[in-house]
Amino acid sequence: MAIDVVMPQMGESIAEGTIVRWMKKVGDPVDRDEPLFEISTDKVDAEIPSPSAGVVAEIRAQVGETVPVNSVVAVIAGAGESVMAAPPRLSPTVAATPKTSREVAPAAGAVSRATENLARERSSPLVRQIAAEHHVDISLVQGTGIGGRVTRHDIMAFLEQHRGDTASSQPEPPAVVRGAEDRVEKMSVMRKKIAEHMVFSRRTSAHVHSVFEVNFSRLTAIRAAKKAEYEAQGTKLTYLSFIVKAAADALQAFPLLNASVEDDNIVYHKDVNIGVAVALDWGLIVPVIRNADRLDLLALSRAISDLAANARAKRLRPEDVSGGTFTITNPGALGALFGMPIINQPQVAILDVGSIEKRPAVVNDAVSACPTGFMALAFDHRIVDGAVADQFMSRVKQSLENWDEKQA
Amino acid sequence: MPNEYDVIVIGAGTGGYVAAIRAAQLGLTVAVVEKQQALGGTCLLWGCIPTKALLEHAHALKVVEHAKEWGISIGEAAVTINMSQVQDRKNRIVSGLTKGIEYLFKKNKIEWIKGTARLTGNGGIDVFEGSTQTLRARKEIIVATGSAPRGVPGIEVDHKRIITSDEAVHLKEVPKSLVIMGSGAVGVEFASIFRRFGSDVTIIELLPRLVPVEDEAVSAELEKSFRKQGIVSHTGAKVTGAKVDGDGVDVDVQLADGTAQRIRADYLLVATGRGPVTAGLNAEGVGLVLEKGYVKVDAEYRTSVSGISAVGDVITLGAPGHPQLAHVSSAEGIVAAERIAGRDTRPLNYDQVPGCTYCDPEIGSVGLTEREAKERGFDVRVGAFPFGVLGRAKISGETEGFVKIVANKAHDELLGIHMIGSRSTELVAEATVALRLESTVEELIRTIHAHPTMAEAIGEAAHATHGAAIHS
Repeated sequence: MAIDVVMPQMGESIAEGTIVRWMKKVGDPVDRDEPLFEISTDKVDAEIPSPSAGVVAEIRAQVGETVPVNSVVAVIAGAGESVMAAPPRLSPTVAATPKTSREVAPAAGAVSRATENLARERSSPLVRQIAAEHHVDISLVQGTGIGGRVTRHDIMAFLEQHRGDTASSQPEPPAVVRGAEDRVEKMSVMRKKIAEHMVFSRRTSAHVHSVFEVNFSRLTAIRAAKKAEYEAQGTKLTYLSFIVKAAADALQAFPLLNASVEDDNIVYHKDVNIGVAVALDWGLIVPVIRNADRLDLLALSRAISDLAANARAKRLRPEDVSGGTFTITNPGALGALFGMPIINQPQVAILDVGSIEKRPAVVNDAVSACPTGFMALAFDHRIVDGAVADQFMSRVKQSLENWDEKQA
Repeated sequence: MPNEYDVIVIGAGTGGYVAAIRAAQLGLTVAVVEKQQALGGTCLLWGCIPTKALLEHAHALKVVEHAKEWGISIGEAAVTINMSQVQDRKNRIVSGLTKGIEYLFKKNKIEWIKGTARLTGNGGIDVFEGSTQTLRARKEIIVATGSAPRGVPGIEVDHKRIITSDEAVHLKEVPKSLVIMGSGAVGVEFASIFRRFGSDVTIIELLPRLVPVEDEAVSAELEKSFRKQGIVSHTGAKVTGAKVDGDGVDVDVQLADGTAQRIRADYLLVATGRGPVTAGLNAEGVGLVLEKGYVKVDAEYRTSVSGISAVGDVITLGAPGHPQLAHVSSAEGIVAAERIAGRDTRPLNYDQVPGCTYCDPEIGSVGLTEREAKERGFDVRVGAFPFGVLGRAKISGETEGFVKIVANKAHDELLGIHMIGSRSTELVAEATVALRLESTVEELIRTIHAHPTMAEAIGEAAHATHGAAIHS
């Protein structure tokens, strides 16, 4: 029996996905759960396993194509019938068609066209008319109609929200001058989304930064003592584990930092879900440690390394990257003294960890070489005032510098 | 032990029976309490269906009366209509449809509990029909008790000579003369029916024009047509008294110019509107908030009491005027049932409710009238196109009326479509979809309208809105 392979729904708000790579080609045998293709969506990049064993009989969505969720991208024929079924489907015309179409229009062009059509389908003539008059990109408007359709109400609300932007008639960005030797590369879906999210966050939140210096002497000693014990249990005890733990405790004490802004409301999240930014060769992703406040140091250490490994292996599930209430980013790992991060919306704060190394520190009126690091908190001044932010940071600093050994 | 159901619906009209079926489809156990001997409520028993049946008879009579124009010989005898046969045919249609609902109930395992319901609180309902039966709703009660014709102070309805639509629809004779008080849908439909059957019909409307909820141009066209047909319309006029006297009724009228007139007629039909039915329900006893007798609900049809919803003619959403229409009730019933079953629902858009009036000529309209659009501050532009120019209209000999489009100059936004003329009640479907999908006038222009059809008038009216129609 032939099995349809569909574009999976990778999270509630995801409507489409882009095929990045096919691991198999038509005619290849495939096992159940063997990676079949790789996709890129709004939220995650993922390898999609085959839903059944058999032979790849048909590939309907080519690399670079963006298709709605649940649309059929391939067909797997049962192992028994594969010999019968595969040859006719491998007719040269079928195989040749995508090739020629790629020659005519580059894959990148196909992506934008498909996305544009989707956006078009999910609006209305009136919305498109309004969008054209106001130079609005409909894909930026959140649709509340059936199937995510952008309605008159949605675009009017969007215009109202951005009235300030258009009124100030932003100057056009200066034109890019392309040299003959310059290389032009289409942004990946992930790159585009990061770009949108960052600019959106800058526009949304009133960013303020506050920097604290933390003495890691005590933690360095504890870490050295426990290292072997953790390794024996198959994980690594890093400074980040301690910092996530300290932040989780401080978030419970200062729930305003674990909140979101929704219109005129402040939503205090009950769960403490901490995202930890993971740098990838092809971008950046923030997997989330759910209920971080309920995990002990060992469990936190495991969660951190598992999520990072899964992110690099493209094995994150949609739920691994959603629902974060606070984020920690660690540019210190790459040598930064500290960074001035942008808040991960719709959160209201992000903690930035700088490099931890020996620096001169004054201890008991004497200068000594201590492992220290700078930690910067970016917070949204719309709801978080400096006093609360600094109390939060003081608490994090206190617990890191005076770590209760029983916790480790 | 009370009989328990997930959902108990009170009233088997279009709001109630549709809510019941939808709830059952979504896996809930459902009972419907109905005191009438048949299912279907006002729509099937006294309203939409029987009146349209009578209007279809009137139309048949109209065609036959003009037989000569069509080259059809039917002898020299005068054309007459046999009211008892008319009633028989109408009743057959009604009973076929009510049986259809009984079948749907059986198919969806919905229990019909005969009797009058009384709310007792905490999901409880007592049903009276001989003995008392006690029911309990585990999830929700849906009040869908509907409406009934409402009189006016000073005019006592005796149901014999001073009647409402409930009696008019069952008349076994063609009255020689009939005075109709009110020119909403009910008033003008009965005017068309009985005028065609041969009655002398006089309409008394308090407001300055017929069908006051429609666009003013539609009102004017209807008045013109009624005048040609010999229906007398007194607008801006008031019925000051009515007295039954023998086989007739004397109706005192104060005309728009202030003069008083007494009109003698076989019947006075009071068609001034419908009021909510909550008698015996104990609505206030269980804490339901009523506004002018209507049950107050939110946009998802929750009442003020948790566990009780209400839909249809009996409700008010707080805003001015909730349309008392069968198709609105059933749409509300579906939303309520889906919400109770835990489905995501979306509020209905009451600016996009089609209205159909089956008088001759028919009226179909959806969206804002020109006046409403101006009152809401839109930069309004309108365009109209007469049916009479169209081949299809000439062929059928139905050349009255027009299509009028009301649009917002900004964004070319479609705001309303109003039509009067043959088949308008069908044509309004296109207009309703166009509004629902947020069409622009340009989209209507670019929509290919089949030829020859009455629908061509919609495309042409869209052209007219942008400047000029092709065929005018």
